[in-house]
Amino acid sequence: MSKSYQAIVIGAGPAGSSAALTMARAGLDVALVERGAFPGEKNMFGGVLHRLPALEKVFPDFWERAPLERHIVKKGVTFMTGDSSFSTMIEAGNFDTPPYNGYTVFRPRFDRWLADEAVAAGATLITRATVDDLLLKDGRVAGVTVLGRSGKLSAPVVVAADGVLSFTAKKAGLRRPNFDPAQMAVGVKALIDMPREVIDDRFGLVRDQGFANEFVGCTEGVRGGGFLYTNYDSLSVGLVFHLASLRTSGKTPYDLLNAFLEQPQVAKLIRGGRLQEYSAHLIPEGGYDMIPELVGDGIVVAGDAAALCNATGLNLEGINLASHSGIVAAEAVIAAHQAGDFSRRGLGVYKKLLEESYVIKDLKLYRKAPHMLHNNRIYQEYPELMCSFMEYIYRIDGAPKENLSRLFLRTAREKVGLGNLLADGFSAWRAL
Amino acid sequence: MNIDEIFDNTSFTIDREAHIVLDQNVCVGCDNRGCVNSCPARCYTWSEEEQKMTFVYDGCLECGTCYVVCHKNAFTRWRYPRGGFGVAYRMT
Repeated sequence: MSKSYQAIVIGAGPAGSSAALTMARAGLDVALVERGAFPGEKNMFGGVLHRLPALEKVFPDFWERAPLERHIVKKGVTFMTGDSSFSTMIEAGNFDTPPYNGYTVFRPRFDRWLADEAVAAGATLITRATVDDLLLKDGRVAGVTVLGRSGKLSAPVVVAADGVLSFTAKKAGLRRPNFDPAQMAVGVKALIDMPREVIDDRFGLVRDQGFANEFVGCTEGVRGGGFLYTNYDSLSVGLVFHLASLRTSGKTPYDLLNAFLEQPQVAKLIRGGRLQEYSAHLIPEGGYDMIPELVGDGIVVAGDAAALCNATGLNLEGINLASHSGIVAAEAVIAAHQAGDFSRRGLGVYKKLLEESYVIKDLKLYRKAPHMLHNNRIYQEYPELMCSFMEYIYRIDGAPKENLSRLFLRTAREKVGLGNLLADGFSAWRAL
Repeated sequence: MNIDEIFDNTSFTIDREAHIVLDQNVCVGCDNRGCVNSCPARCYTWSEEEQKMTFVYDGCLECGTCYVVCHKNAFTRWRYPRGGFGVAYRMT
């Protein structure tokens, strides 16, 4: 196998397929190289697919055609201890009116479909092909070598959309050779099947409505959190841990996941469900400061490979940023073909377009969030504070009542300390 | 989730050739061994008695946790499996 293309995209995830689709529609001969037996085979997320303004422009009937699950009308956050939980929830009428704010999706289905759309537009999809190395010519990226189907593919430009570890970006010298565990998180997920009517009744949903909930305080002090999302007839339930915290905790992801699933309030939500699939994936959570060099000679980096993931603690965004970066990368490649210049400078418009978009703007805005989230108290003491404060408020047992602010201060002093409370409040205010 | 039953819950096409190769001698001198508890598939086992690290790649979920938490560069090889091999998610 040895063939040349006008562009090679490594990785048929949301970034890669969006890039390939855009280039193919512009008439470029593009190869989309995927290591799985089919696109999406290796992918999982614990999340919600949000609006994709750039892809919607290339693909106006995207939302009518994409294989989606439920649209999210209800979003909650739960602060949790071993036996108590305090939840806040927003259910907005606007979330139930198209265009919807977000959907749950199955990645093996969604990613495969999006790659097929790129193929329908003229891209060549090559599956079962793990990219092993970059081909260099005069110091410039000029193609890739492939494991699995041994061979070479050449092109004047490569889009590295090969995911969170991006060995391609490493080989091109665009990312640092070693990752910082403080900038990475691992997510583990249980897919639990449950009849559609049970999900509707249990979570108060009708039609195609969906529910998404995040949990804090469910990780036994390891920095991280939990999630529960409703699909049509299954639940995605899991935990995410900061690696710097997990690696020194002595605790395992699966034991923590089991404890989470057995926490009394969570156990009621998943009761009767059966485990269908267990999965794990890394998340680049370092934010703006983790972004590698985005452009090299003959190469651009997009999606998770470029650490384009926004995890502020409240919102978790990745696919939308990935897809946007893929489309912008494609536009840069198309412009480079017109100008015949695939140098770092010729492809430089990618970085410029990305910086002008919400992708980099949001990551810059929340630049301090990853650091703020490295506060261990968020994951144990604060959830305990909230649960016990609410418990005191609602406990009516004949004991004389206490002034609410005094009660709060007393509980806060007990659980986190007043100095910490002030410092943490200030740090959260600055970060968000 | 019983991690001993990972093969009942998640599908794999196991390659003959390992995609991750570990130099276990490096692990003997490690002061952390965060891979043992952090790996979501329990691919790493440390025996205190034998002072020995055991690694199996069969149930590897290809997440990269070990690649990031290992600060001793104990891997002589860390790459994704050859095309078509490794974990195969169906509906996650």
